[in-house]
Amino acid sequence: MNMAGSIEEFVDELGGFAETAERTLSAIEKDQDGAKGMFSVFSDRMFAIKGTARQLGLPHVARIAELAEEIAVKGTHAGTRAVVRKCTGCLWDALTTIKVLLVNRDKETTEEQEILVNRMKKTLDALGGGRERVSTDDIAALLKNR
Amino acid sequence: MKQEDVRILVVDDVNSMRVQIKDMLRKAGFKNVHSVSTTQEAKRQLEIEKFDLVMSDWRIEPTDGLDLLKYIRIHPEQNKLTFIMVTAEDAKDLVIQAIKAGVDDYVVKPVSPVQIQAKVIEVLTKKGLI
Repeated sequence: MNMAGSIEEFVDELGGFAETAERTLSAIEKDQDGAKGMFSVFSDRMFAIKGTARQLGLPHVARIAELAEEIAVKGTHAGTRAVVRKCTGCLWDALTTIKVLLVNRDKETTEEQEILVNRMKKTLDALGGGRERVSTDDIAALLKNR
Repeated sequence: MKQEDVRILVVDDVNSMRVQIKDMLRKAGFKNVHSVSTTQEAKRQLEIEKFDLVMSDWRIEPTDGLDLLKYIRIHPEQNKLTFIMVTAEDAKDLVIQAIKAGVDDYVVKPVSPVQIQAKVIEVLTKKGLI
């Protein structure tokens, strides 16, 4: 299958991912104390979108999905309803943007996307920042020194 | 063993990823590639067919790639099976967990056809399989 075909198929698959993610966010909004564990479902879907978008050469989609994944991880450990609300608000925007970007994947990065990315980065920083990442070289060193 | 005889099992829950990785492997000369979308299917497949290499994503259903790796490492007959994690998961603590569990190599997506070919050949050569 060529790249265009793979992207088409991925966009179709995303329909299911987005549906699950939307249901999850709605459930969390209805029960902010009891359902915050469901952020992990959202995080898993964003992780899948991130990996596939990277692989298919859609880095702008992958970047938003990665930030959304990290914010969802923070949401799982949220100590207050204010944090839960902050996370869900940000994640709705991220999900909406990812859907728009996939449908209009040939269009250039817009100012709105940059605003969203900056907002997500600020939210993530306010929640303590993302997890420590490793590069390919770091992984090679870790494997060598095992 | 000839490259075309190496039996590879690809595990990824995203169909477009499975198709891409299988395509890359076939173009690199690995003709015997099978793919599944869940760890449950992977475990079932491992019981009925012998593989030389498993290439698995991290976050898959119903458990995950790390669970699959651990399952293989304690399996009485499959514990030496070569395992490469192919994933977008690059959080340091998780990479370390996979290394501790006995992963043979760890590749972070996006992965190119050249990189896939090089990694698979490197790992299989190191294990004396090709």
